[in-house]
Amino acid sequence: MRFLALLLFLPLVASAEPATVIRATDLKQEPASDAATIASLAENSAVEALERRSGWTRVKAPAGEGWVRMLSLRFEAAKPGASGVGQLFNVARTGSSGTQTTTGVRGLDEQQLATARPNPAELAKLQQFAADRTAAASFAAEGKLDAKQVDYPK
Amino acid sequence: MRSLLFLAGLAFAASAQAQFRLPNLDINRLVDTAKNVGKAVKEIDEPEEIAMGRDVASRLLGAAPLVADPQLQRYVNSVGRWLAAQTERPDLPWQFGVLDHPNVNAFAVPGGTIFITRGLLDRMRNEAELAGVLGHEIVHVLRKHHLKAIQKGAQTALAGDALSTALKDRGGAARDKLIALGAEVYSRGLDKSDELEADRLGIVIAARAGYDAYGLPSVLQALQAMSAQDSTLALMFKTHPAPGERLDALSEKMQPLLDAYAGQAQLGDRFLRQIKK
Repeated sequence: MRFLALLLFLPLVASAEPATVIRATDLKQEPASDAATIASLAENSAVEALERRSGWTRVKAPAGEGWVRMLSLRFEAAKPGASGVGQLFNVARTGSSGTQTTTGVRGLDEQQLATARPNPAELAKLQQFAADRTAAASFAAEGKLDAKQVDYPK
Repeated sequence: MRSLLFLAGLAFAASAQAQFRLPNLDINRLVDTAKNVGKAVKEIDEPEEIAMGRDVASRLLGAAPLVADPQLQRYVNSVGRWLAAQTERPDLPWQFGVLDHPNVNAFAVPGGTIFITRGLLDRMRNEAELAGVLGHEIVHVLRKHHLKAIQKGAQTALAGDALSTALKDRGGAARDKLIALGAEVYSRGLDKSDELEADRLGIVIAARAGYDAYGLPSVLQALQAMSAQDSTLALMFKTHPAPGERLDALSEKMQPLLDAYAGQAQLGDRFLRQIKK
């Protein structure tokens, strides 16, 4: 089961997912705006999404295979119960989420949130796991994450 | 010229005061009323925000406990604390928790507590996506979105001095009412503009911290592709604009910034090592 879950995370997935281009957009040879344009896709064109790389998604269109901006694509919402796009997006359903919270009134739906009682024992645990700034900075360095200045949009 | 205008203004104010002096006005009563209004809209200060946030966090933990995995909790805290360090409130007592629940959701609590559900974590593929979601939640704390919503609710529900009492007296009935109001905000949701702002600024925070800026949009696209009838999404969908609408707003306003920081770290391997155990 654990192995299966890992498989779902491979970047390339054989199955294609139906998607729609929500605005006229260029089909590019490479995932970059300065790459050669294969074709122009009209608004509402149907494509099959194959793979995503950061801001770009590789798609199969009648005009050929290439890359479009991921924000130009929308997927059909999966039918209830169907795994659907979960496959393309490597959705893994594993781990403790398999345990349904059916005991008592615990839970995160509207009603349960409204009636929840305080849980000081868990609050104490939460505080114990907190990281300080120095530790967080070393953690970032391990991942080669560099802080940079980026302004908020106006 | 400016000083001339200023002088003219002063002269006008003086004559206005003289003309509109009302002989029967009870100044003391007016001052009292002003004081009460002042209390009702009292700014909740930072220590009060933190203390109230802890009580609200305790309630949320009563709805779902933490995943019993200290290593996972520390990992999410490291990512979150690194993100928070890049913001205008770097020294809040930030703490991050993974709630043991299959629903897809995340919660920001005033004072610097952020929760993400196991159900949402399971739908992510790399650390940049986690950073995108935590960045969104961090913005709610920075901009005091929930705090303001709670305060607004308290003004109608807690008359007169009750808010001040509730903030000071941690054991009282007014306090219980305030915290219940706080918990209610999570089932009702924030204003749409708050959510869209959290999307935009959350992306900036993830980019500052060195992550691929497309983390949050990627998660939104994955959610957009899930069935709206999926029960694990019910509350998240009820309390947030639809993922498609959020993606539209981002592509309208954030495309250049997203592209400028698209090539940054995703850290898929580190994420998967921590998450899949």
